[in-house]
Amino acid sequence: MKRDATAVGAHARPDVALRLAAIRAGERAAIARAITAIENDIASARALSAALAADAGRAHVVGVTGPPGAGKSTLINALLAEFAARGRRIAVVAIDPSSPITGGAVLGDRVRMHAAGAAESVFIRSLASRGHAGGLAKATRRIVDLLDAAGFDAIVVETVGAGQSDVGIAALADTSVVVCPPGLGDDVQAIKAGILEIADVLVVNKGDQPAADRTEQELRDMLRLRAHRPGWAVRVLRTVATTGDGVPALVDALDAHATDAGRGRRLARAPAPPAATAVESRLRGFCAADPYQRLNALEFVESGPGTVTMRMRVAPQHLNFNGKCHGGAIFTLADSAFGVAANAYGVVAAGIDTHTTFQVAVSEGDVLTARSLEVSRNAKIAVYRVDVTRGDGTVVASFTGTVFMTRRPHQARPDDLRP
Amino acid sequence: MNKPLPEPIPASTEEAHVRWAAEYSAQIGADRAVHNRSGIPVRPLYTPLDVDPARFDADVGFPGQPPYTRGIYATMHRGRTWTQRQLIGLGTPAAYNARLTDILGQGGTAVSLIPCNSVFRGYDMDEVDEELLGTCGVVANSADHMATCLAGVDLATTSCAMNDPSPFTLLAFMLATAKRNGVDWRTISGTSNQSDYLSHYVANHMFFRLALPGARRILVDHIRWCNEHVPRWNPLSVVGQHTQQAGATPAESMAFTLAAAVQYADDCVAAGMSPDAFLPRFTFFFDVSISFFEEIAKFRAGRRIWARIARERWGARDPRSWRFKFHAQTSGVDLTRQQPLNNIARVTAQAIAGIFGGLQSLHTDAYDEALSCPTQFGARIAVATQNILREEAHLTDVIDPLGGSYYVEALTNEMEARVLAIMADVEAAGGMYRAVESGLVQRRIGESACRFQERIDRGEQTVVGVNAYQVDEDASARPALPKPDPAEMRAHLGAFTAWKAQRPAQAVAAALDGVARAANDGDANVFAAVVAAAEAGCTHGEICGTLRREVGFGMPLTVV
Amino acid sequence: MDIRPKVLVTKIGLDGHDRGSRVVAAHLRDAGMEVVYTPPWQKIEAVVKLAMEEDVDVIGVSSLATDHLIVPKLMAALRDAGLTDVVVIVGGIVPDADEQALLDVGVARVFHPGSPLDEISAYITEATARVRAARFPA
Ligand SMILES: Nc1nc2c(ncn2[C@@H]2O[C@H](COP(=O)(O)OP(=O)(O)O)[C@@H](O)[C@H]2O)c(=O)[nH]1
Ligand SMILES: [Mg+2]
Repeated sequence: MKRDATAVGAHARPDVALRLAAIRAGERAAIARAITAIENDIASARALSAALAADAGRAHVVGVTGPPGAGKSTLINALLAEFAARGRRIAVVAIDPSSPITGGAVLGDRVRMHAAGAAESVFIRSLASRGHAGGLAKATRRIVDLLDAAGFDAIVVETVGAGQSDVGIAALADTSVVVCPPGLGDDVQAIKAGILEIADVLVVNKGDQPAADRTEQELRDMLRLRAHRPGWAVRVLRTVATTGDGVPALVDALDAHATDAGRGRRLARAPAPPAATAVESRLRGFCAADPYQRLNALEFVESGPGTVTMRMRVAPQHLNFNGKCHGGAIFTLADSAFGVAANAYGVVAAGIDTHTTFQVAVSEGDVLTARSLEVSRNAKIAVYRVDVTRGDGTVVASFTGTVFMTRRPHQARPDDLRP
Repeated sequence: MNKPLPEPIPASTEEAHVRWAAEYSAQIGADRAVHNRSGIPVRPLYTPLDVDPARFDADVGFPGQPPYTRGIYATMHRGRTWTQRQLIGLGTPAAYNARLTDILGQGGTAVSLIPCNSVFRGYDMDEVDEELLGTCGVVANSADHMATCLAGVDLATTSCAMNDPSPFTLLAFMLATAKRNGVDWRTISGTSNQSDYLSHYVANHMFFRLALPGARRILVDHIRWCNEHVPRWNPLSVVGQHTQQAGATPAESMAFTLAAAVQYADDCVAAGMSPDAFLPRFTFFFDVSISFFEEIAKFRAGRRIWARIARERWGARDPRSWRFKFHAQTSGVDLTRQQPLNNIARVTAQAIAGIFGGLQSLHTDAYDEALSCPTQFGARIAVATQNILREEAHLTDVIDPLGGSYYVEALTNEMEARVLAIMADVEAAGGMYRAVESGLVQRRIGESACRFQERIDRGEQTVVGVNAYQVDEDASARPALPKPDPAEMRAHLGAFTAWKAQRPAQAVAAALDGVARAANDGDANVFAAVVAAAEAGCTHGEICGTLRREVGFGMPLTVV
Repeated sequence: MDIRPKVLVTKIGLDGHDRGSRVVAAHLRDAGMEVVYTPPWQKIEAVVKLAMEEDVDVIGVSSLATDHLIVPKLMAALRDAGLTDVVVIVGGIVPDADEQALLDVGVARVFHPGSPLDEISAYITEATARVRAARFPA
């Protein structure tokens, strides 16, 4: 049969309906292939995602984050065994970092889930982060939605584990588990501002190591100093992932959180981005009021839901000693597109982490365009990606950034809002 | 018309050196930087300036005396050459026995036994894919099988080496056989070749069987039990071969091996054993690569370091505790599939390096080991290579014939410094056990492996027939994989399952229970229980299975 | 479409010599591929499940000590699971006589010791393009 190359959508693609049925029936191969399509942004995947959207919200989505080597993967292996013992079907999405230089990745998490991963009731998929910030891969949310529609009882997402910036998971999960290795010691203070903040359940893993006692105590002390969130008191648990000790209690805690806070909560968490035209003039105003943007001759182009586009013509003032555009100038452009977009919600968004990769040298006279995209958001944290392109469409730099959403509204400064 | 002769300059002067250097630079043009595999820069010429004559006593000395650089015995190869030990194993116990008899008849002087990969994994033959049985070693699962393997061998006079990882069932089977034949255990000699569980965990997962803590404890039990009951047996062979074959440089491999030996000795001391009781039975096992002088320097440096550590770290007083006894195997990593007969030349060069390095025992690889498990034809050439080197080539006339070479002495010093620096890194990481547990050692080896492969890919390291001097080959020159006779193997399997079924079930169960209880009792000796189980008719798979259950398997940490 | 090969590098059977598979996995990563690497001794059923869930384009099996003798079992298991569009390559020590037997059961290619790493990655890149074109027709 010859395909109609111009047709899109479920009508013209009867195979979409077939694939939908296979996914809803939990067929492993169909699910896996659909994930590949989503991950690689293949056109047919959009129709599929759209059709499955209504099915989402049944599974309990558990995010597992924490520093590399904390034992996240090993703990998930133990969780899988415990879930299986309770007769549940589980999907795991495990994300490993891509090399910023080559884009290559070794996806090593599932090796640790070998023992429990062999079970029929378990589906494991590894993803490379592909330069995406926040400890997740770009397509993670849509992949989780797909697995949700496929009827898994719980979906466990393991983040990259890069540290403080690994907070994207909070916007994606119903329940966030932060795994701490023993001996965090003095670091607790340092990292509590980061990933510990997002924890619904704190796990001190490697409970067989002597330093675990102290770490557990420090985490409890830290929690005591913190205001309780309404409806849920954060729990601190101790596990030995390699033996499974403490894991039944962890599953009990996850279940309790699902009951108290509600599964499917993740869907309610992501507010729709505000309508474009209403905010655009406000965002323009921010730019006009920004002395540093003016100094660098940045130009506001347009905004849309969750996105801002800005432009900069590379002038002599932007060059470095090699006669090429200074990295700082490119960063300024990307950072501005990110910062302005993040401040579209009426409260001050404070940047807490960024990462920039420069791909191509830029010369005087080039016109650079930065377009920011909102990747994930919850009440506290939002993550953005910015691509900086040259006139010929070449991507010259990729930027990712994370903001903390304060509760402070923007102060109206009418003087600065003049065009 | 005659040009006047250039003024002769006394060679010992600085000026002579300068004149040579000037001429050398003028003639060679753009000199290339040369480094050996351990990354040590190698200069074009070494002179008396490269060795300090005042350090002769401290660095060189005499064979059989500290610092042992020149050999661990006063007579070295001029007295007794070396044990010719070819590691073999294929097919059924009966087929192995036939091959062993052949090797011993060809001049081999000791027994070695490589079991099938199913044995390495800790399984009996009825637990694995039948296609794989006996393709890489002998399928020996019981004391009866061992009796067949060793039929006709006088255990009281022939040294036996077994590739026998923890919990050392093959030795247990051999001891059971010996007792049955009335051979006194105190006369039995040989080596537990695969007792170095750290090297398995790091670099040769082939032999890795039990989780680290269990393996650690059982090794100490094994050393203690053997010292008491089979005093001529070497319960520990610390294996540098694995790390080097996994890609460690010669210096790294020597350093990791010595660091592992330090760990094992520390563990024995911590268990209350006296250094002079167990150190004389420590042995080492190394790979010899084709990097000729580097290997010689590696062994000379290793001997010196070990003698010093034995005295300074544990206060060993018995000179036997200071001696760095080692077996060497020519490196299969250097062998090529392309033009396989070229491997005979490679093995020869490797073997000479090992001999000049002062080895006590040697396995020369068969030329076809890069293609398959060696054929009988290939194994015979390997044995002949040793015979030629020992008896035709006059290599053994002089002890440490390269001693005093400016280059070899200087390189020995540099290798020693590099080895000590790596050992210091391991020590700083909490010792070898911790360094292995954390993946530090694996990471370093992985990096070195990639670096070396890249050098080959870029053509910086020539490999004849692979990245240079390729020829169109007649594929028929390459031997086929020898496979065990399927009918024989099936009969072996059938006999085994039938025998298993008719054993006294109660005695077997009680012995396995004894193994399990010993594993959970810190005061018991696990290896004693393993020997008792072997005597009671338990199989390899049953003993390993019991311990896997009690102390765990523990997937090795792999670092890509 | 930007095609980034997803490759499974694994070892089945009983052998534990994994230097080769590790070097290859590291090389493929450095060549920009996404690599799922397993330790040795994988059960055939586990490899099939992994390949299916990860939806890999290519499976590379390393065999240094006769484990290639059970590769036909792997091929049959992949076929039974419906994984007919994944490309299977074998690397390591495979005698000539056995190589033909592997090609006969559907192994796409056998790489012998000494194969340049670039040759392996180039082959995988090309195979992936074919696999993806078939899996996701434009
Ligand atoms: N002793 C001990 N080791 C553990 C425990 N959990 C994990 N590990 C080890 O810690 C290392 C890192 O584990 P992994 O799960 O890969 O950590 P991840 O990077 O957070 O996913 C592995 O060697 C595990 O075996 C535990 O509870 N106790
Ligand atoms: Mg992990």
